[in-house]
Amino acid sequence: MIELTIDGKKIQARKGMTILDVARENNIYIPHLCWDRRLKPYGGCRLCLVEVEGQRKLMAACSTPADNGMVVHTDTPTLRKARKTVLELLLVHHPLDCPICDKAGECALQDLAYKYGPSEGRFYAERKHEPEATSALIDRNPNRCILCGRCVRVCWEHQGVGAINLIGRGFNTKISPAFEETLDCEFCGQCVDACPVGALGAKPYKYRARAWFLESHDSICPYCSVGCTLTLDLREGKILRVRGVDGKGVNQGDLCGKGRFGFDFIYGESRLKTPLVRKNGELKEVSWEEALYYVAERLKAVLKDYGPNSIGAIGSARASLEDNYMLQKFIREVIGTDNIDTSARLGYAWALKGMEETYGIKLNPIKLESPIGKEVVLVLESDLTSTHPIFGLKFLEAKNEGSHLMVVEPRRTKLARRSSEWLRIKPGTGTAYILGLINFAIKEGVHLKKEMEIEGLDELSNAVAEFTPEKVAELTGLDKERFIESARRFINAESRLIALTVGAAENQKGIETVKAAANLLMLLGEGPDALQVPADYSNTYGAWLMGLRPMNGGKDLYTMLYEPGALKALYVMGEDPLVTMPDAGRIEETFKRLELLIVQDIRLSETAKMADVVLPAASWAEKEGTFINAQGIPQPVPKVVSPTGDSIPDWQILRNIARVMEHDLGVIEFSALKEEIAKVAADSGQQRWRLVPVEYDLTEKPDNEYPIVMVTGNIMQHSGALSVMSKSLSHVLSDAFVQVSPEDAERFGVEDGGFIKIASRKGEVFIKARVSDEVPEGMLFVPVHFAHARVNMLTTASPEGRAHLTAVRIEPKG
Amino acid sequence: MEKVLLKNIDNPDSARIEAYEKSGGYSGLKKAFEMEPKAIIEEVKRSGLRGRGGAGFPTGMKWDFASRDPKFPKYLLCNADEGEPGTFKDRPLLEKRPHLLIEGMIISAYALKAEYGYIYLRGEYPHAKVVLEEAIKEAYERGYLGDNILGKGVKFHLSVHQGAGAYICGEETALIESIEGKRGQPRIKPPFPVNVGAWGMPTVVNNVETLSNIPYIIEIGGEAYSQIGNPECPGPKLFSISCCVEKPGVYELPMGTPLKEIIYEHAGGIKGGRQLKAVIPGGISTPVLTPDKIDCPMDFVNLPKVGSMLGSGAIMVFDDTVCMVKVCWRAIKFFEHESCGKCTPCREGTGWMRSILERIEGGFGREGDIELLQDVAMSIAGKTFCPLGDGAANVVLSFIRSFTEEFDYHIKNKKCITQ
Repeated sequence: MIELTIDGKKIQARKGMTILDVARENNIYIPHLCWDRRLKPYGGCRLCLVEVEGQRKLMAACSTPADNGMVVHTDTPTLRKARKTVLELLLVHHPLDCPICDKAGECALQDLAYKYGPSEGRFYAERKHEPEATSALIDRNPNRCILCGRCVRVCWEHQGVGAINLIGRGFNTKISPAFEETLDCEFCGQCVDACPVGALGAKPYKYRARAWFLESHDSICPYCSVGCTLTLDLREGKILRVRGVDGKGVNQGDLCGKGRFGFDFIYGESRLKTPLVRKNGELKEVSWEEALYYVAERLKAVLKDYGPNSIGAIGSARASLEDNYMLQKFIREVIGTDNIDTSARLGYAWALKGMEETYGIKLNPIKLESPIGKEVVLVLESDLTSTHPIFGLKFLEAKNEGSHLMVVEPRRTKLARRSSEWLRIKPGTGTAYILGLINFAIKEGVHLKKEMEIEGLDELSNAVAEFTPEKVAELTGLDKERFIESARRFINAESRLIALTVGAAENQKGIETVKAAANLLMLLGEGPDALQVPADYSNTYGAWLMGLRPMNGGKDLYTMLYEPGALKALYVMGEDPLVTMPDAGRIEETFKRLELLIVQDIRLSETAKMADVVLPAASWAEKEGTFINAQGIPQPVPKVVSPTGDSIPDWQILRNIARVMEHDLGVIEFSALKEEIAKVAADSGQQRWRLVPVEYDLTEKPDNEYPIVMVTGNIMQHSGALSVMSKSLSHVLSDAFVQVSPEDAERFGVEDGGFIKIASRKGEVFIKARVSDEVPEGMLFVPVHFAHARVNMLTTASPEGRAHLTAVRIEPKG
Repeated sequence: MEKVLLKNIDNPDSARIEAYEKSGGYSGLKKAFEMEPKAIIEEVKRSGLRGRGGAGFPTGMKWDFASRDPKFPKYLLCNADEGEPGTFKDRPLLEKRPHLLIEGMIISAYALKAEYGYIYLRGEYPHAKVVLEEAIKEAYERGYLGDNILGKGVKFHLSVHQGAGAYICGEETALIESIEGKRGQPRIKPPFPVNVGAWGMPTVVNNVETLSNIPYIIEIGGEAYSQIGNPECPGPKLFSISCCVEKPGVYELPMGTPLKEIIYEHAGGIKGGRQLKAVIPGGISTPVLTPDKIDCPMDFVNLPKVGSMLGSGAIMVFDDTVCMVKVCWRAIKFFEHESCGKCTPCREGTGWMRSILERIEGGFGREGDIELLQDVAMSIAGKTFCPLGDGAANVVLSFIRSFTEEFDYHIKNKKCITQ
């Protein structure tokens, strides 16, 4: 600890803090424009100058380390004059178009000019840059720019992108993508929040409202499981924009493009406004009363004819706890069956099962900060900065703070680009890589050094014996020496972490991957905290806790969807299996054979189009609810706007159906529902370590007929059914595409932007090709959530939870 | 005094290794390799050598800091980004005496245990690039550079990195950014490059002339070297003198030679026998001196006593036909053009000063412009990120202080006093 004096106050501080850090911690105000908590000090704006006794010059508080015995003055006539002049200098060229600037009212320059600034300028000049008009979502007006560089630095240092930089020098400096091209980035919009003035803005918000008319509410993002706090700005009952507020929420103010721009899905044109019932083969608008009686009668008929086990339900990983709880209550109490599941069955359920079989735990909440401070961080075939963007940022942060970031990944993902070490393996061989590490660790006798006894060591060492460095090199395509070097680094590290996703949209990892990773970590004496497998979506974790899964021998999602005839009636709430789940052909067949398909959704999904009855649900932000994020933290989601059309919350729909079916569920109001949910006990299991042998065998291997491996997944801007409803996100990317390596493009005559045919053993689809070196030779990568592409006609569902790569062949469309 | 730095300069082959070796070149290196690295640093400390780039930081001390840092690898960078108006003292060394610099760098690298060195060369010195690269090739061929120099197990590799025409890259941290392939902008200090420099490693950045002094120090010993010129900042010094003198050029003279002697004896006096009006003694960013101050010895110690600085030792002489407002305007135009844009006062303030000077010079000056200029300059001085802004403010403040009546005349009469 050191002690210094600021404005006459004696203050204790930690070594390494800057004067500004100390001042902020003690609520002493020092103005600044270029400083940002997340970034390295820059010292550019010169507003934070302070007087330090004994120093000839004024010192920049943001970049001067606090020192023992320092005497600092933050507000003196000299400083006021210096700050006033800095502001005058900035204002000389600032266009003062505040009346038409969206930033007016919340502009740092405006506020500072009000506080310190001159009442008149002694000079006049202007910048004459052309405002940039062609980029999606982000509005850039360089004339308003004060060149603080926060956008540039947040983009590079914090976000790991580097899409923009300062170009030119001195007064002619301007912020621009390379060669003044149109902005082509991941559109996270972090630069927009970082900009202290109106030089960067969100296009969808442009000219929509004056800042002082906005009403702000905090909510939780409906997309991934990180559970970021969004600050929603409304005017006249409509959400106009989303901001991250520094220090707020688990995300501490960081947001990704989906969170920032994707909220407008609730205003999507495809939103359902009234219930629909199929009459003479067509879905017709009906009243709620008619729809409810229709559902009740049809359900009763199926119950009577086939019994409760012929009915099943699929819940939603994105619906609230309350909605999901009510669905299972309805299914279990009113229908009387255990046939219930969610999309977690295709991914996250296997992560949990893998953890249970190895560590013995039944829940695996992640820790967002887990990568920070670890010596080695291994990211296994997972595009974390796309699927869980804010969790992904922690890996960049860890690397910036000195961790060795090992990325084992065939795709040139952002983490691969920014890694310390990128091991480019063949797709789907991440598991083999880990098994190789286990074998290597056992051969090196690492477990002996730890003096541990875990059951199953012999079986495990036998099972991995074949994964010698030579074999791993052959399977993964890595250089043998490189593998050994990386293995040694991982095994000998003081602290380590493995992170991966097992997402419903992904097909290159499965339960065996999780078990392999857990085995390796147990051998090295690491507990379950060293294995970070986040849940997929905003409430995957919550739906699981609410019992949205068979718990007493009921039918799971595979049986319900992939065994045509297993059910007579299916209730689908907030899920679109035909688009988001693999092997769509099979699902379609199942649906055709149902007597009754009830779909409850916020929009007319592909699945809804096949339904007998469609019930319109109120969406996120239109109703109260709770999400539990991947860390296991329940976070309230308030109602901030009115529901669309006649839609009502999912739980109310179910309550109403129960009423019409003359079944008293007891719960009537939201508060009562919440109380009941609070009583649901979470069983997180007991740690009991077991090493379990892992079978590794790629289920579909490429051969002469199908020589390429197709990997599916989520991307930065889209992650399923919600994002494609967003006008903003679709503005960045609205068309399905497949990434083809330049080598394969040449081999099969594929042109960038041209349509190609992809054929698998299951069928064929036509889709636009993007030739990109992000994928290696012999691999395709395709995002799955564009309904029109129907990529999931080609893929396979694996009831054992194994990786299930799809072998395909490609050819240009004739 | 015998020439040390510009020795042999009239030999057309002075840049060739044969000529250099013949005149005793690379003997300092051989001597140095007999010494412990630490002893070399001590010798340089004893010599009292101070950096010739402008700031005059004791070279031995800088080396000491870097060698005490336990991190490896260390880097040795030669600052050959000679870009200040009026400064061309390094050019003859680069173009005519490349081996002296290379020898100096090898000795320095050996002392610092640096295995890689770069010469950051001004982009506008294309000929020097050709000469340096040829000389480096020769040095490799003779075994002075490489993995096992002269069979002594010393490793040092050297290459030339050409700048792209930015004055700011002469500032050592901006130079490091530029070498790393980044935008040439200064970094926050501390940490200083001796601890966190190129690629985050301990790095010594020395000027061409500084490094070129090293072989001589080793040859004659620090003690003897410290007796040359002013003992407080000893050594031979290159002075580049330009503008209104009969014989402009680069002169090697002992540190502390009076300014008057340089102008009137070595450079042949004022051109056409006219009257001396002003001298900028150390490159454009040092404050201007009036004729009454030219008895001052040219060194790091004495010039500050008369309100200026030695800087790079670039002397610019102006006679009574020169308009001081115009000189000031031209100087500020340079600073505006070279301001990197990182910090507000320099980026915006230099442009503002240039504009006011332009209107005064053009006959559109207004009453109060002088006060305004001073106010802007005061707002820059001491408040910028790096010394570039200070340099610009110095020029304006010192010109106004020394030639107020000329500025006044310009504003009142809409023309120059010299017309």
